[in-house]
Formats: sequence, C-alpha cells, structure tokens
Amino acid sequence: MLSYLIRRLALAVVVLFGLLVATFFMIHLVPGDPVRIVLAGRANPAQIARVRHELALDRPMWDQFTLYISRTLQGHFGTSFTLDAPVGEIIGQRVGPSAALIGYGMLLSLLLGVPLAIVAALRPNGWLDNAIRVGTALTFAMPSFWLGLMLALIFGLELRWFPVAGYSGGIGGILRTLTLPALALGLALTTVVVRTLRSSLLEVLQSEYIEAARSRGLSELRVVGKHALRNSFMNTLTILSVNIGFLIGGTVVLEQVFQIPGVGSLLVEAVEKRDYQLVQALALLAGAAVVLASLAADIVQALLDPRVRLAGR
Amino acid sequence: MRKSKQHIRKAGAILVSSVSLALVVSACGGGGGGGGSSASLSGLYGPSTSAACSGSPVRGGNLVYERQAATQTTDPLNPRNGNGDIFTYNVIYSGLVRSDPTGKTNKIVPSLADRWTVSPDGKTYTFHLRPGLKFSNGQPVTSEDVAWTLNRFGNPKINEIMSAVAIGFGHATAVDESTVSVQLAKPVAAFLYNISIWPAFVLPKNLVEKEGNAFYKHPVGTGPFMVKEFAKGSHITLVRNPYYWESGKPYLDSVRFNFVSDSNTRILALRAGDAQVMDVVPFSQVNSLRTDKNISVQAAKVPLFLGLWLNHQRAPLADLNVRKALQYAINRPLLNKQIFAGLGTIPNSVLMGFSMDAPDSVVKPYGYDVAKAKQLIAQSKFPHGFSTTLQYPGGTDFYKQLALALQQEFGAIGVHVKLVEQDTATVTNNWFTRKFDMVFPFASFTSDLTVPDEYADFIANWDNGFHGFETSWRNPTIQQQVIQFETTRSDSERAKQWAQIQQALMNQTPAIAVLHLPFINAHLPNVCGTNLDGLGSDHLEDTWLANSKAG
Repeated sequence: MLSYLIRRLALAVVVLFGLLVATFFMIHLVPGDPVRIVLAGRANPAQIARVRHELALDRPMWDQFTLYISRTLQGHFGTSFTLDAPVGEIIGQRVGPSAALIGYGMLLSLLLGVPLAIVAALRPNGWLDNAIRVGTALTFAMPSFWLGLMLALIFGLELRWFPVAGYSGGIGGILRTLTLPALALGLALTTVVVRTLRSSLLEVLQSEYIEAARSRGLSELRVVGKHALRNSFMNTLTILSVNIGFLIGGTVVLEQVFQIPGVGSLLVEAVEKRDYQLVQALALLAGAAVVLASLAADIVQALLDPRVRLAGR
Repeated sequence: MRKSKQHIRKAGAILVSSVSLALVVSACGGGGGGGGSSASLSGLYGPSTSAACSGSPVRGGNLVYERQAATQTTDPLNPRNGNGDIFTYNVIYSGLVRSDPTGKTNKIVPSLADRWTVSPDGKTYTFHLRPGLKFSNGQPVTSEDVAWTLNRFGNPKINEIMSAVAIGFGHATAVDESTVSVQLAKPVAAFLYNISIWPAFVLPKNLVEKEGNAFYKHPVGTGPFMVKEFAKGSHITLVRNPYYWESGKPYLDSVRFNFVSDSNTRILALRAGDAQVMDVVPFSQVNSLRTDKNISVQAAKVPLFLGLWLNHQRAPLADLNVRKALQYAINRPLLNKQIFAGLGTIPNSVLMGFSMDAPDSVVKPYGYDVAKAKQLIAQSKFPHGFSTTLQYPGGTDFYKQLALALQQEFGAIGVHVKLVEQDTATVTNNWFTRKFDMVFPFASFTSDLTVPDEYADFIANWDNGFHGFETSWRNPTIQQQVIQFETTRSDSERAKQWAQIQQALMNQTPAIAVLHLPFINAHLPNVCGTNLDGLGSDHLEDTWLANSKAG
C-alpha cells in the first residue's frame, strides 16, 4: 500500500511541475503584459518602462522563468500587479465560492443521476431508459453559459425563486444564490453519472450474488439499493474524480454568467489582464485540485478493492 | 381556473423572454436593430423625467447598481481597472473643485473649496476651503491635508499613472487653516479641470501616512458615501457619509455596486428588479430596453469615441491622400444606424467629442463620398490601392460588425483590409509597441477630461514621448499650436485656437474618429435624479428613490 502511495505521489509531483512550466510559457508567449494593459493610454512610455523594470518584466524570458521557479518552490506566489495585492490573499478570498459551487454541483448531479441510473438499469432499453438517455444527452450538449442563462431567465426572472445573479455566503445564502449555477454545472455531470452507473449496474445485476439475493426473496429495491449499488459505485467515483477538471472549467463560464466571486471568474480577469503571477498560481491550484482528487479516488479504491492494492506487487 | 390562466400567461412570458434572450445571445452576429428615430433620441439625454420623479426628493432607500467594470482598488493614485475604480473614487472622495454635476455645462464648480482666485500671471491659485469640512470619520479636513494631497498629485513618482494631468504643477502650501495656495511652473489653462478628477481627491494625511496601503481597505474621504464593505470581484457597499458637506445629501441610505461583466446578466438583474440601475447598455440592446415600459434608458454625452488609429510608419498610411480617402469612404450615417442604434454622432474632429469643439458649420465633418475617395486614391502614391490590416478587440458588443463594415467600405476604394481580431490586451499591447497598420486600440476609448488638453497633447506634442500617441505622426506646426493652447488663459481665445487645431487635425487626419458615442445607462422609473456629469460619472448624491417598493 505504501509503495503504491509513494508511486502515485511522485507522479503527482511530476504532473504539477509540468503544469508549472507549461503555464509559465503559455501565458508569457501571448502578447501583452500587465503593466502595459493597466497603464497604457494614460502613463507615458518612460513611466511604463520604469514599472516593467521594477517587476523584472524587461528581463529575458529564461531569467524570468528561473526566478519564478525558484520563488514558487520556496512557496512565494508573488504579488498581483493588476489587483495590487498578494496572490495568496486574493485567491484565499475567492476559493470559497468556487469550492461551494463545485461541491453543490457534484451533489446535485448525484441526487439527480443516481435515481435516474437505477430507474434506467432496472428496465434497460425500455421507454423510460431511452427517455433518460435522450434527456441527459440533451443537457450534456447544451453549452453551460446558455443553460445558465435559461435557468436564470426561468427561475430568476419569471418565477422569481432565485436571484438572477450574485453570491452570498452561509448555508442559506448558498442555497439561494448557488442553486441555479450548481444546477447548470450539475446537469452536465448528471449525464456522466447516469451513463457510468447504469452500465455498471447492468453488469452487476447479471452477477450470481444478485441472483442469489433475489432468490432469497429480497425486494428489488433492497437488491439494487443495498447489494448492487455498492458494488457499482466504484466506477462512478473514479469518473467523478476525473471530472473535477471539467467542473473547474465549468466554473470559469458559470461564475461569469452568475457573477460569483470565485476563482473561475478571477482566472478570466487574470488572463485578460495578463496577470502572470495570478494566472500561474490559479493554474497550479486547479492542477493540484485535479491531481489530489484523482489521488484520493485511487486511494479509496485501493482501500476498498484489494485487487487494485495488490496489483503492483 | 384563474391559476391555469396565470400559468399560460407565465409560459407565454417565458417564451417571449426566451426569444428575446436568444436575440441577446446572438447579438454579436446579428444586426443592431432598426435604429431609433433621431427625433425621439433626444429624450434619452438627461436624468429621468418619469411621473414618479415629479415630486421633491425623498430621503432613504438602498440602491443596487449593476456595473460592468469592477472596482479593484480605492487608491485614487493607482487605478487598476479604469472606470470600475474611477466611478467609486467619485462617490467616496472629492476634490477642491468639480465639473458641473448635472452634466449640462462644462463648467468647473466649487466642491471642497467654495471660492478661489488666480494671480494675473496665471501661475498662482489660492483656494479657500468651506468652513466645517469633515472626512467621513468625523475628523476635520485641514489645509494641510489639501496641500499634502496636491503635492502627491504633482509628484510624478507618486502620481505615476496620471502625471499627464499634473503638467506644470509646482507645489502647494497651506497658507492658513482654510487657505491653500498652489504655485504652477507655467500657466496651465486646464489646471482646474486637472484637479477636478480623482488623482487630486483629498485624503487625510495622518491616516494615509500611518496606515500605508492598509488605508485603502477602509478608506476615509469627503464624498457623499463611504465604504461599508468591499468584496473584491463581487461588490462594494457604500453607505451615507454623515459628514458630507452638501446639506441634506445624499438622499440614499446606501448604494451597492455589483460587478457584473456580462451584459445579459446585468439586463436580467434589472428586469427581475434585483437591481435598479445598470451601466453600459450594449447598443444592440438599446431598442429592446426602450420599448420596456418598466425601464428608463438614459444617455450621456461623454468624450467617448471610436478611434481608428493609423500607423504612419506604413507608407500608404503616411500618404495624406490615402488618409483623406479613408475618411471619405466611411458611410457613417449607415454605421450609426445599423450598429449603434442611431445613438452616435458624426465627428468633425479626429479625437473624442469635447464641449469646446467648434460646430459643424466651422469645422466640417468628412461626408460619405466614394467618388472623391477613389479620386484621392488615384492621386496618391498608391493609385492601384494596397493591402493592409485592421486589428480590433474581440468579445465586445460591436467591433466585429464595425470592422466588417469598414472592410467592405475600404475595399470599395481599393484598400484591401485583412481583419485581425484579438483580445483587448493583445490589441492594446500591439498599439503600444506600434505593431499595427490600423487599429481600434481600446475596447472603450475615452478622455479623462472634458477639455481637449490631455488628448491634444497626447497626439500632437511629440516631446511627451508618446510618438504621436503611437501613430508616429509628427507635425511641428500643430505641436506649437497645441502647446500654446495649453497655456492660453482666456476662454474665448482658447476656443478660437481650438477651432484652428481641430481643423488642422481634420486636414492632416493623423487618426480617424469613426463616430462619437454616448454612455448609456438604464434604470427603473422610480430612480430619480440620475445625474451624470460630463465624464459619464454618476452623481449619486442627487439620486433618490421615489418609492422604494415600486419596481
């Protein structure tokens, strides 16, 4: 188990370092820099040159890169020029709403997806199964900004159940302000949950121990809910952990539409302003979240399933 | 029965809204609507005149205002996000003087100073502070605070971004408890305009010196409101400053600016009544909002324009005949109608519109005349036309349509334009490093002042290091005229000189103003006293809610 964990951790470090390098060069190779964007059109060229020098933006890219790597390895993420504040402080203020949105979206996708998958698996290829498949394919195909706007239009503007945009904290605030964006985020993921869970349920439902359970006269609900679901859920968990990247990507769009002060909308602002420090830190954060989620899923799976744990021996 | 009817009505409303939303979403690709008739457009200018606002102002109420640009800092010497920061400075701070808050005139009127005198040589200004002035924390505003503020304004190492408006500043001295004197190095005609804007807003010396940057987390100023909560990326909540100098104002208890970059979301929030005011109404949405009885659309004349910047390092664009041909090739009335809902005005200037501008009868605009444009191309060094590029910022309401229209119009006179859409950061960077042929350099191109001094200097004064505001255009005669204009004190003399400069710039056409545009806001009809000044900034001290429950 320990050697498995060490191998997975080492891989995670390599992935994150690769991400660090890739993000640095991607954002630096795009034209524009934060000083020119903030000051151009007002300050004169000599002043802009002075500020760029202070921020080391006039040095060769390789110098900037080595400086960045050494600072990052020491845990210094620097100061955002465009927001005039330390990167850690800015991200700290904005990570909460995004985490709440992702968590809530995931929860909704499970609340919707699990019952639908069970219904579909119990009568495979029946009309209900087909309807669920078509319905979830439709929500999956809708662009999230459009789905978000539609939800805001119907439940915000017309029915007035929720505000059309904005964010407030606390359980009540989150329920009021994040339900629509979480639904927009969760509906796309519901498709993934339904598909994976349905197919593994179908497989499990054919197995001998399910037959045994049925022959003992247990109700279908109990057979599925207690015996089949537990054994089918592993795949779904893995898929969900892989989809954390998809969810983070979704927040970028939905936070703009619903005006949620999270890290997704922060990333958009940071890229627009070429705020190198902020973009790099946010990319690293998102990468770390994805790596950690998949690591956690692997560990859970290894704990639950000896075949995974022992495979490396 | 009644309920089911309601449901049907509701479903119908949803359908109608869905269709209109689909139009919102497709606005970038579609036309700008039929264009408003010019007769009714004048009604859009000025504050709300709805029936609800006919009474006298009512005190109380909380206003929610959806703003496109977020406030990122409250430090008036370090704006990071243009109007997002500036419009907040304007309600939490104030200066010695201000521009007419009603926006009706271009005059400078008293603010913290109730009167001032100017020495005959125009180099010494003496300001007298209003008695009993206090900051929003209750501490008195001293002449020492004012002098210290102005000396920071005049120090290019501290006022790094806006040092252009501190041109000619010498130093400020506190003469006595209520008098401040400012010595200029040379007469500066626009001096009062220069100190009417945010870099000269008065701050408490003791607190800023003691707290440093931490001061701006809970800033103290002399504006009508003060900061209660600043949630970066989300909103800023402002409450009434009990020590504000205009007695009885502001009327509102609080104002909350929500930062909502997406225009569809701003419109939805206004329609849902979650907010009472929104700024930056997209031109493609003006007509749809105007037909909504529950929404008032308001336009304000501001120095905002579509500036098409030309690079004179490119041989064809250095040719005066070519530049004039491009001016004549643009069908401005059509562009205005198709893309800008008829709200733009046709410029008789190459810069943004200033109230000092000479009228069309004195300086004529370029008309739409393809024959003349072709003739000018034939006379140029490029009689068979040429190929060039036009860069513009993507992701905005109208630039793509505008660029496509210009491509077609320039193509008709043999100027083949390749369109290059980039994000705003890239476009601005390419403009700044002069990597462009033709470019719309900013998503929103405005002046910080209502007088032309700042921009005339930017483009015509080669010595300021701006390379003709990155056009590489240079004209010593006009440069001399501009420098003289900046130091001339008599208003009537300045008006004469400006007309000559305006005409000379039109003749030389170093750049092209395609259209002058207004700022467009929208609000619910019970929001009254929605004054915007000549720079498009809200004067929320005059704003009141006729009935805070109506909506």
